[in-house]
Amino acid sequence: MRKTYLITVCVLFFLQIALAQQKNPKLISCNFQQATIAQFAADLESKSSARFYYDPAQFDSLRVTLQITEQPLESILYAAFKNTNYHFAITSSQQVFITKGRQIKTDLAPGFTSIAPVNNAQSSAVADYSDDKDKNVPDATTENKLYEIGTRTNTIKAGNATLSGYVRDIKSGEAVVGASIYVANTKTGVATDQFGYFTITLPRGRHILIVRGLGMRDTRRQTILYNDGKLIIEMQEQVNSLKEVKISADKVANVRSVELGVTRLDIKNIKQIPTAFGETDVLKVILTLPGVTSVGEATTGFNVRGGSADENLILLNGATIYNPAHFFGFFAAFNPDIVKDIELYKSSIPEKFGGRLSSVLEVTNREGNKKIFTGSAGIGLLTSRLNVEGPIVKDKTSFIFGARTTYSNWLLNLLPDAYKHSSASFYDVNLDISHQINDKNNIYLSSYISNDKFKLNSDTTYSYSNKSVSLKWKHNYSTKLFSLISAGFDKYQYDINSKANPVNGYDLAFNINQSNFKADYTYYLNNKHTIDFGLNSILYHINPGTFEPLGAQSLVLPQVVAPEQALESALYLGDKYDVSTNFSISAGVRFNIYNYLGPQTVDNYAPNLPKEPDNVLDSTAYGQGHFIKTYISPDIRLSARYLLNDNLSVKAGYNTLHQYIHLLSNSTSISPTDVYKLSDPNIKPESGDQISLGLFQNAKQNTIEMSVEVYYKRLRNYLDYKSGAVLLLNQHIEQDVINTKGKAYGAEFLIKKTAGKLNGWISYTYSRTFLKQDDRNAGELINEGNWYPANYDKPSSFNFTGNYRFTHRYSISLDLSYSTGRPITLPIAKYEYAGSERVFYSDRNAYRIPDYFRSDFSINIEGNHRVHQKTHNSWTVGVYNLTGRQNAYSTFFTEQSGVISGYKLSIFASPIPFINYNIRF
Amino acid sequence: MSCRHRYLYFILMVVSVSCKKLYNPPAISAPGSYLVVEGVINNGPDSTIFKLSHTVNLASKITLNPLTGAVLTIESDQNALYPLTETRKGNYGIGSLQLDNTRKYRLRIKTADDEYLSDFVPVINAPLVDTVNFNVESKGIQINVGTHDAVNNTKYYRWDYQETWVFHSYYQSGYVSNGDTVVERLFPANEVYNCWGNDTSSTIILGSSAKLSQNIITNNPLTFVSSTSEKLGTKYSIIVREYALTADAYKFWQILKTNTEQLGSIFDAQPSQINGNIHSTKNPSDAVIGYVSAGTVTSKRIFITDQQLPGWVPAQPYPNCSLDSIYLQYKPAGATVAVNQENVYFNYHHLANPQDALIPVAAIIVIPPIGPELIIGHTGAQPECVDCTLRGTNKQPVFWK
Repeated sequence: MRKTYLITVCVLFFLQIALAQQKNPKLISCNFQQATIAQFAADLESKSSARFYYDPAQFDSLRVTLQITEQPLESILYAAFKNTNYHFAITSSQQVFITKGRQIKTDLAPGFTSIAPVNNAQSSAVADYSDDKDKNVPDATTENKLYEIGTRTNTIKAGNATLSGYVRDIKSGEAVVGASIYVANTKTGVATDQFGYFTITLPRGRHILIVRGLGMRDTRRQTILYNDGKLIIEMQEQVNSLKEVKISADKVANVRSVELGVTRLDIKNIKQIPTAFGETDVLKVILTLPGVTSVGEATTGFNVRGGSADENLILLNGATIYNPAHFFGFFAAFNPDIVKDIELYKSSIPEKFGGRLSSVLEVTNREGNKKIFTGSAGIGLLTSRLNVEGPIVKDKTSFIFGARTTYSNWLLNLLPDAYKHSSASFYDVNLDISHQINDKNNIYLSSYISNDKFKLNSDTTYSYSNKSVSLKWKHNYSTKLFSLISAGFDKYQYDINSKANPVNGYDLAFNINQSNFKADYTYYLNNKHTIDFGLNSILYHINPGTFEPLGAQSLVLPQVVAPEQALESALYLGDKYDVSTNFSISAGVRFNIYNYLGPQTVDNYAPNLPKEPDNVLDSTAYGQGHFIKTYISPDIRLSARYLLNDNLSVKAGYNTLHQYIHLLSNSTSISPTDVYKLSDPNIKPESGDQISLGLFQNAKQNTIEMSVEVYYKRLRNYLDYKSGAVLLLNQHIEQDVINTKGKAYGAEFLIKKTAGKLNGWISYTYSRTFLKQDDRNAGELINEGNWYPANYDKPSSFNFTGNYRFTHRYSISLDLSYSTGRPITLPIAKYEYAGSERVFYSDRNAYRIPDYFRSDFSINIEGNHRVHQKTHNSWTVGVYNLTGRQNAYSTFFTEQSGVISGYKLSIFASPIPFINYNIRF
Repeated sequence: MSCRHRYLYFILMVVSVSCKKLYNPPAISAPGSYLVVEGVINNGPDSTIFKLSHTVNLASKITLNPLTGAVLTIESDQNALYPLTETRKGNYGIGSLQLDNTRKYRLRIKTADDEYLSDFVPVINAPLVDTVNFNVESKGIQINVGTHDAVNNTKYYRWDYQETWVFHSYYQSGYVSNGDTVVERLFPANEVYNCWGNDTSSTIILGSSAKLSQNIITNNPLTFVSSTSEKLGTKYSIIVREYALTADAYKFWQILKTNTEQLGSIFDAQPSQINGNIHSTKNPSDAVIGYVSAGTVTSKRIFITDQQLPGWVPAQPYPNCSLDSIYLQYKPAGATVAVNQENVYFNYHHLANPQDALIPVAAIIVIPPIGPELIIGHTGAQPECVDCTLRGTNKQPVFWK
């Protein structure tokens, strides 16, 4: 930092004196025979007004032999040093700098002042970095240096050239994802992809690239673009992590990006948000964003714009995670020390994603540090975590390893007798390796495993696990064409067993396996068109349930629901087209092909009759690999942006989506006993479309971002359940589910402050979601075929997330959230039956539980800020649910001793203080 | 669980667990009231009884709202008719029925403003109850039922039960007030020390062997009796009745059970609508609560005496009982005229509030140097401490042995 400052001062000084130069070159004569540098300089100083500056040590071997008459000083110096490794520079005030190896630049870097000195581009002051010539790609680390791109030409040709390259962290060598590169004079910009790569087409000539990255210091690069070429930009980490909450990678993205309803959050922001037990939770934070709600506190399932929890595609480094929660949903299954950022798409879902109706949540892990070994550890009340990373081959190959585990059993053991027999444990492990083969090829290996096991005061043991491994190959064909090819395998499984009654001892198991293949290409056609195309394919293999006897005495009859197979493939093509500087369109089409595969036996039902046992005509058995049913459906993805002025834009979007895998859950939250079902001849794919419109404005130098978005969504073939549906081990699940129609609409308001001592965001959402089952042929009508609110219909939702920084070491965070209570089916009458008082329930979801309100508070204390020390530590102390409000998770009516009473179940019923200690090494 | 916070201290932190709290929803008035039909068409020697009622609002003080004056008929699919008669308010019965196992039957209900019909149901006879047994556990006994159906009529079962037990009041009384004076109690007609209590099941007990390789149910839990319960003080008996169900009927009972007994944990299912097999002929979409099935009902009774149990001591339901001495002629210190205290405490005709009367327990006797014993008063106690008939009957049930 100090160094940069010094250089800046020097350069300023030169600028002032440069103006006087070149007016009256004085002519000098000289004659040197084996002169040393001291003699050479002293002689010339005596004959002119010049003063020489040099490092004598560098010139101890220099001997000058030269005879010249009546020449300017510059010519003498030129003659003296030509064909040598020495360079000189003369300032306007006749200061002469003699250097070895490199030349000193005597004028101010163009663009340093507001005047862009375009004409200087070809002057001799252009930095000579001939030492770098053996490298293809310049490492651009200096702001005040001018980088030449492409083969230098004397005159700059007209037309455009493509600049590509990548942005990396100067310290760790890790790619900076989502960094924005903004070109001020053409008002165009581009963001780096998930591997830090970018490509931008610009008019040939001189440009200043303004580079911003999450958690990185803003920087700029001066380039002169002669032809297509590459540039590596190294950025410095923002050492002071408390400085500001940045919500978006790109401060101008709010207004300028074509997409609507896309939010990216950096792990640093996520860490500032207080959570129960102090464990940073990457999923809880998205609940503070507009349009995202959840049915309750102890669930990690979330609902985006009126979609159910299974309509979200959750990707960890591209791997599908089916159960993203630990410990009944109290913790997200993602290790906050490994996660780099998360990105939630709720409206403009890129065409490369598909297969879910509501949203895509992309969780991206960091790459390991390519330069040094480093790590961190955290100690919380219930969990501890460790992360280690470092180079395997310096600057080429690195690894990152993270692990978390819980020791919550001590807590359960301290609970009253009623919970004595409970136990719970979980862990998750990440190991990612990245390797750079050369500057055109990179390979990434990621692996993940999470495991949960618990016993809730009963003899039944539940366990579940996510596993995934994937290999990606990134290849740059040219500066315009990139590809990312990946293959992976994901597995989710659960197991429930009980031996309480030896005769009924059982073991119930479920698993879902998927093999993925993806080929994604990006082609930068020109500065107006960026084309994405590719192919995705997922091969599913689901074991919907095996029920087997456990123990020798068990009389349980083994029961196996036949495994299901399907192939979900898609071809996509999308184009981002900048029609003009103000108007951009992104249009894409995704062509989905879904095959339900044999072996399978499928029941055939009488047409136009409810799918009930009585209406089964016959069944057909299909062999291995037989294409039993194929659904072909194109998806359309459209979004457009029009800039009204630099700080105000209007955007619109329309998309259609299809979903072929359905979560069957009869309870309000995602529970570890839910079953996934593939679309088959009797269960149609769910489909939906959404239209959205948004107004985006930035104020105060882009430090305040505001947006209003409205949307309307339709759902078809959404699965709801017949009364008393049996979802587990059901051989004929189509007989217990019904297809409903859905509609959702809403308005989302968001104000973010991204810089300053006080930063954070406020959001308000009004949204409704309704379902309807009015087809008598499909089975029972729900609520007489009228629209009824979905379980997660919460009309009003308000969130405040704020962080105030007192000093660099102390900051406080406050979180407020309010939402309307979710719908519930309430008892409306009572009667006596079977020896007890019982209740009669209302229409489905006719009433609501009480409104939800919670406030959380935390204080973040950083250790000292010396950059160079062995360990950095920090404390987080706070209180979750500050007001101790007993928010209802659910209300229910139950009979005890023959009397019906209503109960309200609260999960976190009192203020929960927490403390966390983190250490980085 | 109450909402008292349970704190656990660990360095600086305090954690409290989730809590379940009483909750009264905003006043909800049902749009109407719904017909409730409970009963089984009983094929065999026992009589068939159907109970008809209407639902009431949640806020209502009463829960049973019997429907009187309805006309009920059991019909076979061969048009055989068996009319029922109203035996009590809302109870409609008919004596022993001999049904044809190959036919189907239904129930017709005519009310003042509507007519209801159940679906035709097959006659499914329950197999014999094989076992009713109990396990002694640390805090009481667990009573279980077992059955099997060799002929595979059904794999779905429902049970209910009736418990009977002997219990004693706190004090054994030899005297009684006739309203004006205390006289000796007549036995066994006025027995108030030794009584039989009874109770019926209040939960729905279901079992299924559908997932088992054999049609056998073993140790299906029925009820748990606490070691401190009065029921186990001397002798206890339970009769278990077994009903065989169709798959559809089983589903109805399962939903009813789930809706009213099993909600509340985090992973439990949401309540769903109850669909019985009774429908209004006027408005088929109107909800009618109840499921009509037909078949014989089998039963088994067991007895459990205190000798079969560890030496458990039942908790007294009224632990604050105490005896007062009441005198015929009581002269407080300094008073000139004696008072007959029995007219103040026992003889209810003399009391302003007869229900406050105590019950005499034993005579207070003075043995003078010469002459017969003299009763100068009686000890007495609160009725609940003396009179067991307040909580049971003093007539021995016919099955008791």
